[in-house]
Amino acid sequence: MKVQQRWERWEAIGAAALFVVFDEPAVIRHTMLDGIDVDAMPFDVVVDRRREVYDRWGLTRARHRDIWLDPNVYKVYWRLLRAGAKLRAGGSDVLQLGGDFIVDHHGEIAYSRPQRRDDRPPTGELLRAAAGTTRRDR
Amino acid sequence: MPTAPTPGDRAPVLALPTLDDRTVDLAELRGRPVLVSFLRHAG
Repeated sequence: MKVQQRWERWEAIGAAALFVVFDEPAVIRHTMLDGIDVDAMPFDVVVDRRREVYDRWGLTRARHRDIWLDPNVYKVYWRLLRAGAKLRAGGSDVLQLGGDFIVDHHGEIAYSRPQRRDDRPPTGELLRAAAGTTRRDR
Repeated sequence: MPTAPTPGDRAPVLALPTLDDRTVDLAELRGRPVLVSFLRHAG
């Protein structure tokens, strides 16, 4: 599914999005955004080279065993390889964890899911959380 | 190190450059729900 098609579900509820990365822009463009028209993306990708914002949002680094002994990591790689994706280097710090948050209209956190290992919430869960902030404001 | 914000907390400050070096401030997006997704790595 193309990024634009996925994004239509977010636009339907009037949501914005920010994706935060920490590697150099050139690395990002040639890895996770490879083949994507960055100028046509309906959301921004912002770069936190020193990871100060990751720290401010309480995002920690995993232990090696949390990543490399996690069967889900290998399931994801297997799925990607079966879909024809190329294996790439993992960026400058494979232990840095991320997280997903929904911020409501007033600038308050409505949903918080910092990663503890290499897991992410389903898109549907995030969409429901974002839509819930709209309903609360009515 | 701070702990991750939980529902009801004010969102911590987030103002960073984009890939093409524009600055985006989360505070400027107030008025609509915002997904803030911190990615784990670039691979």
